[in-house]
Amino acid sequence: MRKCIAGFAMLLALAGGSASAQNVDQVRANLAKLKPADFPTQPIEFVVMFPAGGGMDNTARLVGKYFEKYSGQRVINVNRVGGAGVVGHTYLATQAKPDGYTVGIVEANTVLDGVRLQEGKSTWQHGDLEPVAFVNTDSTTWIVSTEGNLKNKTMSEVIAEMKAKPGTIRVASVTNTMLEYLAEQVETEGGVRTIKVPFQGGSPALAALLGGHIDVSGNFLAEYRGHLEAGKLKILAVAGDERMPALANVPTFNEALGTNKINWSPFRYAAVPKNVPAARKRYLEAAFDAALRDPELLAEFAKNGLDGRRKYATSALVAAEVERVAKGRVEFFSKRVAK
Amino acid sequence: MELFNNLPSGFAVVLTPTNLLYCLLGSLIGTLVGVLPGLGPLAALSLLLPLTFKLSPVESLVMLSAIFYGSMYGGSTTSILVNIPGEAASVVTCLDGHAMAKQGRAGPALGMAALASFIAGTLANLILTIMSPGLAALALKFGPVEYTSLMVLGFVTTIFMVNGPAPKALIMIAAGIFLATIGTDHVSGALRYTFGSQNLIGGFDLVAIVMGLFGVSEVMLNVEKIARSEIVSKKIGRLLPSLQDWRDSWAPILRGSGLGFILGVLPGGGPVTASFLSYAAERRLSRTPERFGQGAIEGVAGPEAANNAAVSGSMIPLLSLGLPSNGIMALLLGALIIQGVQPGPMLMTQKPDLFWGVIASLYIGNVMLLLLNLPLIGLWIQLLRIPYKVLFPVILLLSVIGTYSVNNNLFDVWVMIGFGVIGYILRKLEYELAPLILAYVLGPLLEQSLRQSLVLSSGSPVIFFKSPISATIMLVSAGLLIYFAYGRIRSARSVNAAPPPTKEAS
Repeated sequence: MRKCIAGFAMLLALAGGSASAQNVDQVRANLAKLKPADFPTQPIEFVVMFPAGGGMDNTARLVGKYFEKYSGQRVINVNRVGGAGVVGHTYLATQAKPDGYTVGIVEANTVLDGVRLQEGKSTWQHGDLEPVAFVNTDSTTWIVSTEGNLKNKTMSEVIAEMKAKPGTIRVASVTNTMLEYLAEQVETEGGVRTIKVPFQGGSPALAALLGGHIDVSGNFLAEYRGHLEAGKLKILAVAGDERMPALANVPTFNEALGTNKINWSPFRYAAVPKNVPAARKRYLEAAFDAALRDPELLAEFAKNGLDGRRKYATSALVAAEVERVAKGRVEFFSKRVAK
Repeated sequence: MELFNNLPSGFAVVLTPTNLLYCLLGSLIGTLVGVLPGLGPLAALSLLLPLTFKLSPVESLVMLSAIFYGSMYGGSTTSILVNIPGEAASVVTCLDGHAMAKQGRAGPALGMAALASFIAGTLANLILTIMSPGLAALALKFGPVEYTSLMVLGFVTTIFMVNGPAPKALIMIAAGIFLATIGTDHVSGALRYTFGSQNLIGGFDLVAIVMGLFGVSEVMLNVEKIARSEIVSKKIGRLLPSLQDWRDSWAPILRGSGLGFILGVLPGGGPVTASFLSYAAERRLSRTPERFGQGAIEGVAGPEAANNAAVSGSMIPLLSLGLPSNGIMALLLGALIIQGVQPGPMLMTQKPDLFWGVIASLYIGNVMLLLLNLPLIGLWIQLLRIPYKVLFPVILLLSVIGTYSVNNNLFDVWVMIGFGVIGYILRKLEYELAPLILAYVLGPLLEQSLRQSLVLSSGSPVIFFKSPISATIMLVSAGLLIYFAYGRIRSARSVNAAPPPTKEAS
């Protein structure tokens, strides 16, 4: 597995190898042409809705570093934390000045959850945060311990086991997150019943899995890479539309369950409040694009199982993807309420 | 043995110039906040927490823990010289330490406090080092069921260890549990007591509550006390204790080290309770209990040893289970999580450099502190001359900045101010605040693991007695509760046989 990840990182580095030193200058020159005369004259703030040191924050800081590299503008990371991200999203959508100096580094499901958690009282909708660039996608995976009962089973066999012994397989779930939704969807799509054990986050669930207190845990690759390399864990399936480049031999949930509805991948993008002047927005889009194509940055992403390939190269494509995620969720939650 | 590979590698991590610098910095800050009344380790750690975001996990944990045990050294200075505890764990040091100072023996009191701290700190580190490798494997055996029992034990010991009337402690614990329910329920996702406020979806921020309850209210209380206190300005004299002092103190130091270490490990324990219990134990064991309060050096040596040993002890549940045994450890936990490090059973294998680095830094920090607190004691005494009209506004300002900078959310500042006022009133009414904070941290853990266990067992409580670990802990808790209730009833009958050893509410 370690080889596989390292190999992928190397591949990316090779693919991006064309962006050599003179190319950096070229990209910088192209970007400078787009720069409005009056913008930016002060540092740009990257707003993150989660505490410093977390996954979101690390991603933002990394992107900020390469944003600075190409644009020559200073970036300041600001963590506006509170209310499961709602405080920060509300700030970005309704209070931040639309002058281009405030850019949120956000994740589609968290944005949508922010609106949903306010139970109809939200003063903003996801469309009020206008995308300027795609950052990366992560993949939620299901893992089992190599010492547990399910160590020799594939995802389809685990589903069969769940069917054979309903209500006995213990699956970790983190309430109000994709991990909970994923577990629910596996139950409905697979027609099975499990014991969903609520945890406060991925790490406690992982510890419980290693201690044999649960059978299956949902985690992101970055959380458990060390244990995977040490041979303590096995990945069952990944909850994306397609297989993860870093884990090409791991099937998707959709493959294992014969459906196309299961996609709980974090989708990270940069967004600004509405009404940012068009020229400034265009400059931000170009600066992010330059930063996010940097091979070193992509290699950093890949090390943690993050997919930064520029599948959504324009902000229109990003907005369309956010809409698609929103639609899928509306469908999921309407069924969930009905149930 | 693995140990002999691990500890040297830990020293290799710490003995880099930057890590040594952060260790020294933490020791200095710790001694400083220990010396300054009105600023305890809890307030100092929460103030400095945002500054550690830029550091690496090793650097920040080395510095933050140095602040913690550093304040245990510094706290005794103010207790001995001014009769105001520099921080809560030095409250009992006032009793005999200040009495010694009045008799012109401030030097040996200060010297013994520092030396006892050093000996106990080093002994406790040795125990920690030897026990650590076995702990990680044991820690993985703790699932939801075992955690639930551990939390129950934590609450029982919290009631057991508070000073003062039990009903008041129970009220504080209940208040802490209630405050912790505000926000999103982690099991069902329902919003509780948020009254439509988006600021409350995630509950109150721990730092804001702690800063308010301890920092702000401490300043308010001290403003009143200052007018009445006097600094012993007589010459400090010789610092080194005499041979007779050592003869009186060596056993209390050893007992204090053991007691402190155990209390540090137990949920609900910590330096404050360790120092109180050590003082009580020494007085009970002494052949001349009447000397206590009149300048008995055992009354300085025992508690000062105990509070330092408790710091090392409390590293065990934090690093091996991710469980904070007291409020300060809860902040260290927060600091690690902010750094993206989840303390828990896997920490030792996943981040050995962090784990062993921190343990190695405990040894080094203790040496630094001994040097800072013996030869340089004169410098710290000068600090006590800073006028409070300068010091207190600065502390308040730092509290506001510190609280705001954690989340960049102004709401937290209002929470802090609100809890400052509440804390002031509660302390005036002689309620202890530590059980409230502990309940605020442990409450959600208990709720979570209890509900997880019941999900696993489909609602049957028998699950808590199926696991040997859990069953044992449950029985111990029940035994303690009965013993405690029995003791209370008995002491209530023999009214006022002996006045309690404490006069200052911590």
